[in-house]
Amino acid sequence: MGLGTRAATATLRPIVGVAGAAAEAGLDLERRAVNRVLESDEIERVVVVAINSVHIQAALKQALESDGAAQLIDTLFDSGLLDRFFERLLASESLWNMIDEIAGSPAVTAAISQQGLGFADQVGDQVRDRSRKADDWMERAARRLIGRQPRVLPAEPDASS
Amino acid sequence: MTGLPAAPAGEAPIVSAHPVDRRYAGLATRIVSAVVDAALITVVDVVVGVGAALILSLLHIPHELRTILAVIGALVFALGSILYFVIFWCTTGQTPGARVMQIRVVSAGAARVKPRWAVVRCIGVLLAALPLFAGFVPILFDSRRRGFQDWLAHTTVVEAPGLSIADVSRAKQRAIRAASRQQPPPTGGVA
Repeated sequence: MGLGTRAATATLRPIVGVAGAAAEAGLDLERRAVNRVLESDEIERVVVVAINSVHIQAALKQALESDGAAQLIDTLFDSGLLDRFFERLLASESLWNMIDEIAGSPAVTAAISQQGLGFADQVGDQVRDRSRKADDWMERAARRLIGRQPRVLPAEPDASS
Repeated sequence: MTGLPAAPAGEAPIVSAHPVDRRYAGLATRIVSAVVDAALITVVDVVVGVGAALILSLLHIPHELRTILAVIGALVFALGSILYFVIFWCTTGQTPGARVMQIRVVSAGAARVKPRWAVVRCIGVLLAALPLFAGFVPILFDSRRRGFQDWLAHTTVVEAPGLSIADVSRAKQRAIRAASRQQPPPTGGVA
């Protein structure tokens, strides 16, 4: 290394150090600023305002109703990407393991048995209702046959009581 | 019409003690209930009978002994059927068929039926069925829808709305979920 190069390096070393320290301080400042923004409620407020904004909603609606959006969907389906996705998904062992897990879970079996019991309940309600009506009808017919007054039935119990 | 006598001392009424508030079960409802019970008893009898016949077929039993076994089997089935009704009537007042139809057999004053009256009622049912089921006809005319067996055993059959099997199952599930939520989460870390 020449004398000139060494002299230039020695001269620039403090300047490089100062520049590095300044950059480090700048990055630190930026990180703290980002953290403060993320921790504040401002981001949430901005997001809410943006979602509720009439202009943004109108723009979204316009974009979704545009021909471009329809073409985009058509392109997506024509590309065969979705077919490929579902082929891979169905070929995946994990998917069937997950389905087995879900099918065997107590919550799902309880829900299925609840559905079965609910159906039995509905059938039972129907049978009870019809048999009660048949009771009253048979009694009225029998009493009419022998010329007796129909029995005064007590009121149906209130469901809320 | 006079009301029923009050429940004996120390026995709480299992349905409304006021006869006016009660709805008595009619003939059709009681027939459906009896059909359910008969189906249940028949299924049990067939399973037990076929099982016993299969076991006995493995043994070489003389013809006379087979006849005696058949008589004993018939007596056991008859006794089982009587016990079925007696036990359900004097415990919950509801056979499974009555539970499906939400009706209940109650004694005077809406109390539980005592075992001896349950036996009397069972005999009453048989007697009512003997003359071409004529003993059940009074259910259509009586103010409290009583048949011969009810008149004999001083019982009435009342409507007893209750939770269905699905409701009971749902309540159980809710209780289990509530209990699991109340349990504190397992604490990790080294002791």
